[in-house]
Amino acid sequence: MNEKLRKAAGLYLYFFRIGWFTFGGGWSIVAQMQTDFVEKKKTVGSQELLDIVSVGRSLPGTMIGNVAYLFGHHFGHHQGGVLCGVMAVLGIVTPPLVILSVLTFFYVQFRDNLWVAKALTGIRAVVPPIILSAVLRLNKGAFPEKVCFLLCGLGCVLSLVWKVNCVFLVLFGAAAGLLLKRGKGREQA
Amino acid sequence: MRVLLQLFWSFCQIGFTSFGGLSMIPLINSQMVGHGWMTITEVSDIVAIAEMTPGPVGLNCATFAGIRVAGLPGALAANLGVLAPTFTICIVAAVCFERFRNSRALENILFGVRPVCIGLIWAVILDLCRTNYLVGGSVQLVSVLIGALAAWLLIGRKWSVPKVIAAAAVLGILFC
Repeated sequence: MNEKLRKAAGLYLYFFRIGWFTFGGGWSIVAQMQTDFVEKKKTVGSQELLDIVSVGRSLPGTMIGNVAYLFGHHFGHHQGGVLCGVMAVLGIVTPPLVILSVLTFFYVQFRDNLWVAKALTGIRAVVPPIILSAVLRLNKGAFPEKVCFLLCGLGCVLSLVWKVNCVFLVLFGAAAGLLLKRGKGREQA
Repeated sequence: MRVLLQLFWSFCQIGFTSFGGLSMIPLINSQMVGHGWMTITEVSDIVAIAEMTPGPVGLNCATFAGIRVAGLPGALAANLGVLAPTFTICIVAAVCFERFRNSRALENILFGVRPVCIGLIWAVILDLCRTNYLVGGSVQLVSVLIGALAAWLLIGRKWSVPKVIAAAAVLGILFC
């Protein structure tokens, strides 16, 4: 039990630390988690992280809350459980709560401050490359067959051009997966 | 107390019916204006601020509206409301996910879902490129250069995300 509490506290602190940098709808967090857990500590596989992000994104609510919960729940060979999940969510939520509380009091000054606007223009310019670096590293394991590239392209175009809701797209992906792999066994047991 | 429950319930509805990001905005708008908690101008301001600052739009709107209506307790109530789906649906999903993790059906589903999700992320990137590098129909050269530099630092030099964001803020103040 003690071990578990320590793990939960560790998760809270980790997500609290990265919560200050949640730009671009939470995708920068995914990039950060990829670096820390997949590449440095090697505790989570790249495919596992992508699965967590896929599920978290397609459930209602805020994406980073869901991703943090699922990650905490699965953390450490699936020993995390509800407590670790909840602590991860609280950790990632605290920084935006603090920042927005302060900003709300200085709302008008903040809105019209030239320096702030300039800094934010700079930050907005780096959000696409941050997400790009995350997606490049998540690619591993997502494209075992050529048809996957087609699914990826379809998902992108349907979402970008026709603004199809991402829940429908994820369901479409699930249906496509079931149909394409129908009757085939798993390649590695 | 009544107002706290109202805030919680309003943001619960927002949380359960939205799937992240900007899809929340029409709902936030109708809830805030309907209760007389914010004017339409304030809603559009808060959306701008919520997008500029770290944190998801839904949580940031919850904090802003909560504080304005009922101070810090209001902010907490509203935040819990937005997170309600995470603390309910997600818990169920995590348990199911674990139970079926090694089943063939889930493996087949994920075979299709993984590439689609990557495609969705590409759509987000392209969409953000459009809003962040093209302002009023013209290319913002400085922004593109900062973005290219960041791509090199992140992918080529393996810089961490916080470091890149801090550098971008400084570059923005100097050149934008």
